Amino acid sequence: MSKEIVAFCCEHSAYPAADLAGKLRLDCPENLRVIRVPCAGRVDVIHILKAFERGATAVLVLGCEDGACRHITGNTRAKERAKYSEMLLKEVGMDNRTVDMLNLAPNEPHKFVRAANKITKRIKESEEAR
Amino acid sequence: METKIGVFLCNCGGGIKNIDFDAAREKVAKIPGVTCVNLSSNLCLEEGKEKMLSCIKDENIERVVVAACSPEFQEHIFRQVLENAGLNGHLFSMANIREQCSWAHEGDVTVKAVELIKMAVNRARLLQPVEKKELSVNREVLVVGGGFSAINAALQLSQVGLRTTLLEKEAVLGAGTGELGNLYGSDTSSMISAVEGDENIEVLTSARMTATEGKIGDFTVRIRKDGEEISHKYGAIVLATGYQTELALDSEPKLRAEDEAISGGNIVSQEKLCRMLENPSLEREPKTIGFMFDFSDENSRFPTLATLNNALAAKQKWGSEIYVFCKNVKVDGEGVEGLYREARDCGVVFLKSEAPPRITAEDGRVEIEAKDVLLGEDMILACDLLVAEELLLPTEGTEVLSSLLNIRRDSKGFYQDENVHLYPIASERKGIFFIGGCRGDLDLGRVLTDISSVVIRVHGLLSSGKIVVDSERVKANPQKCVACLTCIRVCPHGAIQLVRVDSDKEVAEISDLACDACGICAAICPAKAINFEGYTDEQIVAQIEAIGAP
Amino acid sequence: MESKNVLVVGSGISGVASALELANAGISVYLIEKEAAVGGHAASFCCKATDICSKCSACVVFDKIKEAVIHPQIKLLTNSTIKKLSGELGDFRVELTQQPRYVDEERCIACGLCTEVCPADPKAIYPPFAEATPFSYILDEGRCLRFKGEKCDLCRGSCPTKAIGFELKPREQELNVGAVIVATGFDVFDAREKGSLGYGRYPNVLTGIDLEQIFTREGYLRPPTNGKEPQNIAFIQCVGSRDEGHGYCSQVCCKYAMKLAGLIKYQSPGAQVTIFYIDLQTAGKGFAQFYEKYKESIRFVRGVPVEILQTSSGELEVRFEDIAQGKVCRDIFDLVVLSVGISPGKNSWGLAKILGINLADGGFFDVKDSPGSNETNVDGVFLAGACQGPKDIPDSIAHGIAAASKVIQVLSEFASRGQGNQRVH
Repeated sequence: MSKEIVAFCCEHSAYPAADLAGKLRLDCPENLRVIRVPCAGRVDVIHILKAFERGATAVLVLGCEDGACRHITGNTRAKERAKYSEMLLKEVGMDNRTVDMLNLAPNEPHKFVRAANKITKRIKESEEAR
Repeated sequence: METKIGVFLCNCGGGIKNIDFDAAREKVAKIPGVTCVNLSSNLCLEEGKEKMLSCIKDENIERVVVAACSPEFQEHIFRQVLENAGLNGHLFSMANIREQCSWAHEGDVTVKAVELIKMAVNRARLLQPVEKKELSVNREVLVVGGGFSAINAALQLSQVGLRTTLLEKEAVLGAGTGELGNLYGSDTSSMISAVEGDENIEVLTSARMTATEGKIGDFTVRIRKDGEEISHKYGAIVLATGYQTELALDSEPKLRAEDEAISGGNIVSQEKLCRMLENPSLEREPKTIGFMFDFSDENSRFPTLATLNNALAAKQKWGSEIYVFCKNVKVDGEGVEGLYREARDCGVVFLKSEAPPRITAEDGRVEIEAKDVLLGEDMILACDLLVAEELLLPTEGTEVLSSLLNIRRDSKGFYQDENVHLYPIASERKGIFFIGGCRGDLDLGRVLTDISSVVIRVHGLLSSGKIVVDSERVKANPQKCVACLTCIRVCPHGAIQLVRVDSDKEVAEISDLACDACGICAAICPAKAINFEGYTDEQIVAQIEAIGAP
Repeated sequence: MESKNVLVVGSGISGVASALELANAGISVYLIEKEAAVGGHAASFCCKATDICSKCSACVVFDKIKEAVIHPQIKLLTNSTIKKLSGELGDFRVELTQQPRYVDEERCIACGLCTEVCPADPKAIYPPFAEATPFSYILDEGRCLRFKGEKCDLCRGSCPTKAIGFELKPREQELNVGAVIVATGFDVFDAREKGSLGYGRYPNVLTGIDLEQIFTREGYLRPPTNGKEPQNIAFIQCVGSRDEGHGYCSQVCCKYAMKLAGLIKYQSPGAQVTIFYIDLQTAGKGFAQFYEKYKESIRFVRGVPVEILQTSSGELEVRFEDIAQGKVCRDIFDLVVLSVGISPGKNSWGLAKILGINLADGGFFDVKDSPGSNETNVDGVFLAGACQGPKDIPDSIAHGIAAASKVIQVLSEFASRGQGNQRVH
């Protein structure tokens, strides 16, 4: 793995949004790899770090909109873990590794694609800067 | 021996053109454990499913991977194929090579498709079966409250054959129904008689819940009644703890609707006005009445309706001059706009302003100082009676029960959490529901709808006395569990309890009934003691390991 | 023959909620829908979240549709309408007509090969909108060369699953059910009836529904005339509600206008949004906080405009009486959104005749007892959702669940008594 973005997608929000993006034939970056989870709250720091250990350039954690999580607190926990993971990575000097949390609804395919494209662009720009 | 994995590719009728299926087949066949790779053009149709079923049987496949469209609409169909072939439906993993691969990118996506398949294969290799189990549930329902909603719910639950207990903290039922009853003309006393005559309904008055343990189908509730503690089991709990009102006046101390000690009784509540209207021997009929609402609380549907009803009644009965002060009339309830027009046609004057009027009371009259938006002028109205704005507030019982049962409330303190997925009547804990005024709204139509909704929900859960569940899909390993209580605190559905396994060990036990398979507990367990089948750490990491691998 | 099956007419959010509730209780449900796709109006509503969920419930609709479509106890029949209802509670006979679909949704796998080979321009066979459930392709008779008399068989020949057929005639079907739930929803008020507001004449005058669909399809406020993104937007409330022809509040417009306004402000913080209203409907769970949050950033004007004129630069001049100031004003906007209300379904009268149920004064279906209940004058026929009166999504869901509840109660009473009441001919 080198340029991949690992996207942990909650099955209630991000996963259907990604499907819709496909149905609309929206332009999505090819280096995206989606891992389906029952709730963003299932995503643990260890999963995020493993992705980077295996060579991912960026991790995206996607869950329901703030206040609309099927499991009430899952998306909030995911957000905290995403932030914590990013902080850990910085502490060990891996500054160019990003962990983003995105909140979206199942019928927001554009939001999904915009976020993926934004991260890809950011990766490209930071590579060119080096 | 390596687990035999069968991979079924689908090119969607030949419509997927940017994946080289032959190349993909070759690569996939080389993945360790894959014993057969099939290419179909219509896996989701009968022909395709039959071929898949035969292949699973003939090749003795132990884990199945389908690489096709999205699992969103097809997963359950393929799981059924596995079951028909004699395999547990959970031994299945799907790779989305259509919506999220072929359709998502321009150009050849064979490399990504193969990776997605590898991810699914890696996961499938580690999957374990999950069986179904039938659990018994207690068929009795506890309804907390004794007002309009509680009584109605109990009667309807009894009609569908469920034994119900009404738990009321006051000495009699119907204590808080006054206002609603008067305004809607509902005959509370006949409802109470019906309840008392119903064999299926147990009424416990002067009784309060002191503790509750357990989960849906198996709640153990401790009740204190007449100084004694009794314990009883219920399958579901319905909270109907009502509301209370407080006059929104700048006064100390804050006044309840029943208090009369305000400026000689010239400032009253809607309820008091109702009683005045019904009083055949009223001393003095008020000639000018002012009504106020919607300044302190946007949630003023009930105050609007009460004002309109009372204003019309006062016009008809006493012929009084009526002035209504408000910001906006809340007409988003059935029939309210009609009443509003009727009131205006009868001569009720509506004065709308942004800022609340200033009230002064002296010498038996109340003065209301306001700026009328339509006139654009300040005006002072002197009236004999002011029906003050009332705030709708949660009861003390609502707060107490919320912490006893560990359930969230909204920002105003009413049930339930403002999460749209819980509406209309659910809490985040399975088996606990809310109806009526304790939810923060008093529109009769909506309240009755809530009651009907709760009846079918509870009936659906409990009536057969059994519920089929996934057995131990999420399980805390008693060997690894250190009883730190983290999962218990964190589970949003209240599905985990501490149970004693022997004389010196307690461990977390996840209820198959109450668990909603979110995995929040599995993520947070510091001892990694919770196994969430289908989404274990190993199964997730195995997918990560397939990305970018040669 | 006695039946415990239930027919739900209409697959909007209420119908879906009823069907799911019954299906989860073990009842077999026929869910019929006159369109090709399930979900009614709400299926095309956009998520209005800003940095937090704004409780619009559009995602709940999405979820429930998915659940209903895959539920083993629910049989979905699209392109279907009721032709006749006879019998009584516990034993109704329903005659359905299913319009030809040309593309069989049970066989269409959305491979897209038919669109590739279609020679018509624009294509006569194409995928439905993205959220359509079932996601099967649509053949447009109006564009199809074959229906214009030419010999063309390309799409049928290319279809790998033989899902396309031209010989399809309307299909008749008879069902036997124990009870019926009518959940036929509403029609949106046609804003062209208020001619002076310019809808249909000026491209920058939209309805609330148009705006929802723009956000759903594009993900942002894409301007109707492909110019700059609108920066000065007005919402006009009560278009088709609380007026001479409609003596009721549509219940949803103030909320959806404010939530859309909030979404616009979130996406373009520099945009100015004005809401013209009569009485702001801000009641309801969780809404007061929303209102507090946006009170300062949205301009609220009491006074509903009666005239909109288009300037030479394509902008819109709105003339209104500002009640607070007590004078007539004119303001310029680059986009005006008419918050159109909920009107009774156009086919209500016809359906009422077929089912033998009454219409109420406002044109919605009438209920027997208390306001907002589900019982009609016909035993065994119930109402769910906006076809009974305006409702927002959470209320429509609740009403649908309540209808299911009444059905279960009445079917079990009927089973124990063994007798029905009113017959429908």
